[in-house]
Amino acid sequence: MPAELRFHTVDAGESPQESKQIEQLLTESDLGWDSRVETFVVCRKGAALVACAGIDRNVVKCVAISPAFRGTSLSLQLGGELLKVAMERGHFHLFLYTKPDNTVFFRGWGFYPLVEVRDKVALMENSPIAIRRYCSDLRALRKHGGKIGCIVMNANPFTLGHRYLADVAAESCDWLHVFIVREEASMFSYAERYELASQGLSHIKNITVHHGSEYIVSRATFPSYFLKGKCTVDQCFTAIDLLLFREHIAPALEITYRYVGTEPACPVTSRYNKDMKHWLETADSRSPSIEVVVVPRITLRGSPISASEVRRLLQNKSLQEIKEMVPETTMCQLINCFGDQRRETEMTDGDDH
Amino acid sequence: MRIITEAVAGSLESSDLLVKVSPSRDKTLEIYVTSDVIEQFGTQIRHVVDDTLKRLAVTDGLIVIEDKGALDYAIRARVQTAVLRGAACKELNWEQLS
Repeated sequence: MPAELRFHTVDAGESPQESKQIEQLLTESDLGWDSRVETFVVCRKGAALVACAGIDRNVVKCVAISPAFRGTSLSLQLGGELLKVAMERGHFHLFLYTKPDNTVFFRGWGFYPLVEVRDKVALMENSPIAIRRYCSDLRALRKHGGKIGCIVMNANPFTLGHRYLADVAAESCDWLHVFIVREEASMFSYAERYELASQGLSHIKNITVHHGSEYIVSRATFPSYFLKGKCTVDQCFTAIDLLLFREHIAPALEITYRYVGTEPACPVTSRYNKDMKHWLETADSRSPSIEVVVVPRITLRGSPISASEVRRLLQNKSLQEIKEMVPETTMCQLINCFGDQRRETEMTDGDDH
Repeated sequence: MRIITEAVAGSLESSDLLVKVSPSRDKTLEIYVTSDVIEQFGTQIRHVVDDTLKRLAVTDGLIVIEDKGALDYAIRARVQTAVLRGAACKELNWEQLS
């Protein structure tokens, strides 16, 4: 029987007919179609589609096996085929979304549990030690004692709003850890964002500016953040990212407070901030609560200063208006880049937390 | 020999094993083995892995193994293949592989 199984890949949008069959198989397994999947690895027996597994860059999801084939060797073949496809594309460190009940199954594929939202969803990765290594690296940078705060920011680009939030946080904490979102999905590159944030925060003495990682607001932990405009707010899934922070990152650095600016403009970020209170403070978790401190944004002539407003002004070539919204270091960079030529971008424009 | 790039060999299927190698950050050799038969054969599997790495003179790298009940020669072959791929090794010393 195994000889009759045929595996092949289907890119999103390649075949409406196959997509329909995949969707049907997913429905049978109580899973939804995920438009972010780039490629499905599918298995057919004769004409029947009996299994599928989707990948979105380095994130595996939408894995379904027809009931009659569960518990057979098909599953491990499917896992092997999927790994092959991912690695051919240069993705070695993989994440996987599944239902909590199925994490044992995916252990067989070499995936290990990272974090779980009870009864809903679990995130796994294909390494027994990656998160442990990451946290042990963080632990080396830990500052002991007192009140330890944290801000996660995209800083796209770094504004006076970011600086104000960090000033407020640093003032009320003994030490402040700032993470810059690492994902390259913004108007400004990660290197630029990190550099401008470091410069803009260099006046604060009790601060560490950390490089972001796949474990903090990344495509793997928080896919909706990088797809604004394409997804509706209620699809926004924030629990995984926030629980990962609470259960792995915060303990490594002994963080007990997380600071965030109010978000009047962006619905996804606004939702994230709201969910933050729930998942960091009140939700069930194996780790202690982290207090969320919401700091009102500073305003300029009545309007809140935000990176998205700066980007809007950039699109309109209104460099002069930006001057009052960003520190000098950011302004210099903007003049360098946009002084005579404007940078076009179709990429999403993640704002800040 | 050093692992300088990520590489894999093998499969997840029964009686086989998947070997993943990647560069070490701190110039150490780290080995992680999980196996369906770890209780019965964990020591023997680890012995074969260690011995294979030693013969290849692997000094640093991260070696992760998902074993599905493979026999010793399969373990040896998969580890060799993954290491040679990960070390981007072009010239083989066949004596090391025997």
